[in-house]
This record gives sequence, structure tokens and C-alpha cells, in this order.
Amino acid sequence: MSDSADLARQCMAARPRLVAALAAQLRDLDAAEDAFAEAMAACLALETPPDRVGAWLMTVARRKAVDAIRSETARIRASEAAALIDEGEHSMGNVIALPESIPDERLRLIFICCHPAIAIEARTALALKVVCGLPVSAIARVFLTSEPAMFQRITRAKTKVREAGIAFELPERRHWGDRLEAVLLTIELAYTAAYQDAAGEIDPDLAAEMGRLAAMIAELLPEEPEALGLAALIMLARSREAARLDEIGAMIPLSQQDTGRWDFEAIEQARAWMDDAAVFERSGPYQVMAAIQLTHARRAFDGETDWQAILSLYNALLHMRPGPMIALNRALALAEVEGAESALEFVESLPLDRFGNARPVHVARANLLARTGNVRAARMALDRALVLDPPQAERLFLERCRIELSAI
Amino acid sequence: MQYMLLINEDESIYEGDEGAKRMEATLAGHMALAQKWAEKGVAFSGERLKPGNTATTIRWDHGSHALHDGPFAETHEELGGFYIIDVDSLDDALEWAKQIPVPGKGAVEVRPVWPMEE
Repeated sequence: MSDSADLARQCMAARPRLVAALAAQLRDLDAAEDAFAEAMAACLALETPPDRVGAWLMTVARRKAVDAIRSETARIRASEAAALIDEGEHSMGNVIALPESIPDERLRLIFICCHPAIAIEARTALALKVVCGLPVSAIARVFLTSEPAMFQRITRAKTKVREAGIAFELPERRHWGDRLEAVLLTIELAYTAAYQDAAGEIDPDLAAEMGRLAAMIAELLPEEPEALGLAALIMLARSREAARLDEIGAMIPLSQQDTGRWDFEAIEQARAWMDDAAVFERSGPYQVMAAIQLTHARRAFDGETDWQAILSLYNALLHMRPGPMIALNRALALAEVEGAESALEFVESLPLDRFGNARPVHVARANLLARTGNVRAARMALDRALVLDPPQAERLFLERCRIELSAI
Repeated sequence: MQYMLLINEDESIYEGDEGAKRMEATLAGHMALAQKWAEKGVAFSGERLKPGNTATTIRWDHGSHALHDGPFAETHEELGGFYIIDVDSLDDALEWAKQIPVPGKGAVEVRPVWPMEE
């Protein structure tokens, strides 16, 4: 890796923590993001990179923020904000180092973004943008919406945070429950976005970071079975990270992965969390998804996959969280139990026109069509998936499938 | 930061003998809240409004206006009164707003006041 690419990575790694600290001081998410972006640009333009990148960025970003506030608004507001920041001069170390009830700025800011006064469809999106640093285009993709619509949603949420005076502090513990659903969704989606391409198109550190945050929430809220369920779900996904790509970087689907490369310690940890969650007898989608992944993990021990169990779990999941992607995964389990024909019939009955640009739909169709012997239609489905801009690892895999289909 | 707490209530809940008792209890609740604010040093002001049937609405349409008998919105809930309180954040305002007594159905809208200097 070149020095400048390495420096850019160091900056991005420091981003969540610094944006969180800046946002807490400025009480303005936009200003915090802008100040960080300017500081990062200044850092990359230096001839000699600073020794401590994070500390350097923080100092410069704060100076930029003060300048911006001074030049932008009326004198009264500026002096108030500048006073706020000058005060912060002394307390800055505290913001970063003091032990908190949530020992991580990033997780703290996720809880703040998931405030119930922010429109429910914007809470998670805001957190993904501000805290996880995901680009709006990626967020729009996971919510199956357009980029302009998502941009507007996030802008509105930021305005609400600023204008309504939403506090940049952690709510009392008894209010965490109101926010937990959106917090868990944020971590799930950020992990999904990162996991879609561990080969490196998106943030390569994000998957690891979200795994850490999920584990932290499980530790902080051991009485919340869904928090434990999410931690187990991500841990199980992470247990397969080493087995996901082949030597040329192509994705290896779950069913073909070398189970010897799975991380059994991670699987064991996930199982322990699920046992803890089961005690509460309050089932929820994360626990069910984790159970599906654990059932897959059992292949490493008995060499087979219990598809009937997986199908039943998907039936339950579809009930708890209806949606096209879960319906699609259920169809793939159905294909194993009842054959590809009935699964294909089910997939064709989905409202495909609404999700026509969702790549997994075409990949699933190609898979099922090929299994029913309709090779020509399968090739067409694969072609449609390939024009929808898959991440690199998936593209390599799909191209190989395409070649195999052509050989038939 | 100043917040206006707009109290929207179903007025019919205060009709009849039962209603009179409810009104008494509600007023006592308001008095208790004002007492709390005074104790905690929260600056506040507020008024109780006459019922919705005393309202007259001036409705504007791009420069021309017409007068209407009755309140602005045709709902079961009427604006019954309001407070303006000065607290640090929306969360503080919401915490107080939740303590406003609202018997029966209703809503309390919490809205930041636009500061004069902006």
C-alpha cells in the first residue's frame, strides 16, 4: 500500500471517533462532518504526515469548525459556539478518554442518532451516514430506495437534530429500549454493507468494527435477547470470513465453503450468546436469523445441512419480518426441501417489478432456473445480475457461473 | 432553549358531572407541574385557553382572507392551552411534556421556539 493510501486509511479509521466527538461539541452533525472532511483534506496535502494522525486531525478539525462558525452566522451565535469550543479546549481529552456508560464514542453516537424524535425511517440511515461513514449511495441500496430520496431523508433528520435541540448525550439507561431496535438495525446494515464485499471495495475494517460493537451491546444489555441474537448473528457470519473468498478473490457460496477454514471459537461464542438469549423466551428476528446461521454451521460437524429446519426458521422469520429478501432466501431453502420447481414458482410470484433492480433476485432466479434445466433463461438472469454492478468478489463468482452455464 | 408545549385535548371529556371532576383533577395536575418547575428553576409561562367553540379562524389564501367560526383544524382534539418552557434540550422538554395531565385522548406537540436573534 502506498504511503498516501495508508494515510487515507488512518484518517478514515479515526473518522467515527472524531466525528462523534466534534458532533458532541458543535451540536451539529453537518458541521462535524464538514470539519472532519476539511481536516482530512489538509492532512493528505501535507508533505510529511503527522506522527499522531488522530490528534492532528482533531486539532485541525476543531480550528476549521470555529472558523466556519465565526464566518457563517450572526455574531451572537458565533461567539456562543466559539465559547462552547474554547471551553472544550480543556475538556477535549475527557471527551475521548473518560470512561462512559457506553465505552465507545461510535456506539454512543449511534444511540443518539436513533432518537425517537427522528423519523423512524431516517434514524438508522442517519447513523449509517454519520457514524459508520457509509456513502449515501450505499445506504440507499440497503434500504432499496433512490439516492436522492435517501439524501433528502438524511438531510431532514440532521436538520431536526440541529433545530429541535436534540441533546448529544446518551439517554438514561431506561430509555435505551426505545432506541434499541434502530441501533441493532444500524449495526446489522453496516455489517451487511461491509460484508457484501470483504474483498475491499467498501470499508474493509467496517465488518470487524461492527462485530465489535455488536459484542459490546450484548455485553452492555445482557437482558435484551435480540441484542444477544444480533451479536450471535454477526459472530456466525464472521466465523466464515476466512472461507468466503478463493485464491483469485471470487466469492465462495456457503454450501461450497471449506468448513475447515471456519472459526470454531467464534461459532462457540455465538452459540453461547444464543443460549443466553433463549432463557428469556422472547424470540425475535435476530435470534431466528442467528439460529439459521447456526444450523448452517452444523455442517462442519455432521457434514450435512438440515434444510427442513432452515425452511421452518425462514417461515418464522418471514412472519416476523416480511420482506422480499427474506422471501428470496426462504425460496432457496424451499428448493432444497421441495425441489427447484416449486421454489421458482414462489420466486416468480414475488413483486419482481418492484425489486427488479435488486441483484439477489436475479442471482436466485438464475440458480433455480439452472437447476430446473432452463439454461437459456438462467443465463439471461445472470446477465441481468451482472449489469447491476455487483461487488468485485461477487462479480468474479457470477462470471464463473456464467461460463459454466455456457458450457452446458 | 425555549420550547412551546401545545396541549391538544378532547374537550368532551370534561362534560357532565364526571367531567367536572376530571377537570378538577387535571387542573390540580397543572398546578403541581407549575410547582415542580418553580422548584427546579425551569423558566416557564403558559395560558389556559377558552374552549374551541369560542375560536375564530382567519384563513388566508395567497393574499385574500376569510373568517371562519371555529378552530383551525377539524379534529376531535382542541388546543386547550400551552406552556413555554426554557430547558437545555429536546429530551428535557419531552420529559416535562410527558408530565402534562391529558385525561382521555390527546396530544402534546413540542416545538422549539425560534430565537429572536436568528
